[in-house]
Amino acid sequence: MNDKLVVGIADMKMARQNGMLVTYALGSCIGICLYDPLIQLAALVHIMLPLNMETGRKSPLKYADTGICETLRRMEAQGGSRTRIVAKIAGGARMFETPGGGNLGNIGQRNIESTHMVLRREGIRLLREDVGGTVARTLLFDAASGQACVRSYGKPELIF
Amino acid sequence: MKNYEDLNVLELDTIREIGSIGTGNAATALSSMLGCEVRIDMPEVRIMGYNEAIDWIGGPEVITAGVLVHMSGELNGIMLSVQQMEFVNLVLQRMVGRTVQEYEQLDDLDRSALVEVGNIMISTFINALSSLAEITTRLTVPAFAVDMQGAILTVPMAEFGGQSDYIMTIGANFICAGKAVPCQLLLSPDIRSLNFLLKKLGVLDE
Repeated sequence: MNDKLVVGIADMKMARQNGMLVTYALGSCIGICLYDPLIQLAALVHIMLPLNMETGRKSPLKYADTGICETLRRMEAQGGSRTRIVAKIAGGARMFETPGGGNLGNIGQRNIESTHMVLRREGIRLLREDVGGTVARTLLFDAASGQACVRSYGKPELIF
Repeated sequence: MKNYEDLNVLELDTIREIGSIGTGNAATALSSMLGCEVRIDMPEVRIMGYNEAIDWIGGPEVITAGVLVHMSGELNGIMLSVQQMEFVNLVLQRMVGRTVQEYEQLDDLDRSALVEVGNIMISTFINALSSLAEITTRLTVPAFAVDMQGAILTVPMAEFGGQSDYIMTIGANFICAGKAVPCQLLLSPDIRSLNFLLKKLGVLDE
């Protein structure tokens, strides 16, 4: 197994031609894999919240909307093309069932909806997804093949 | 409004003291439930970046049990009891008379015992805090999950993610019957409540 590039929370990493990108323990957060197959450019961004409403916008990668746009911009700077870039996403679970717990339980669902909306708006085709439910996921993304793998607790690995 | 990273030494000391009183009370409650001596180590107040917090709790992918309670009223926030395997077995052995090797082996009774222990510790902590600061706090019914601890810890992060790039945790480890057992009790107040609390205790330096 080659070295893995670890993507933290509110973080993004890119790899070209080879290398494995990984982000651990996605709960309500979403891992978005963006891939340009022609030049084998892969990016993985780990977002936490649906919409950026910060005034200073210091951490664009924390939010689905600004996170995706920023990642696309950096991919284009590396020679990626929006017309070829495709997406695979995982995450958006509901970790705790809290009756009357405010908007807590909905963050995952709102992240999924926001991610879908932003991808559609940016014209990026969503190939596969593994979202929702109540389990945490670890997402691996292979730059050579563009294949993603989801590992969760008590479930078989899912390759897509 | 002060954000987590702007707190001065006096304010942090006050929060640490709250943590000390809260966990002290929680330890007493735990002790009477389990029927053994429970000590606490030095309570800690930590203000951490997201990824730092996940390293601190012991890595993202380790499976743990978590009991989560939402606070509302004059104090808003989340309180979380993170129960690692050793602690789970200690509770199970003393309360239901058995132990498990894997989290999959937990049955309904085991889960309910763990939720109850978590809930009582959290409620005791909040009660102590509320009477100290003379505030009223409502708690939700406890929620329980067994999963990667990284994902459990992101719940309070996501909740306050729009306000801060940091998470504040107040907590301590428990030493049960002379054995150090990792059981973090974490209080994550939102920023507004934290300011209110410090003001109420007369230490907020505005």
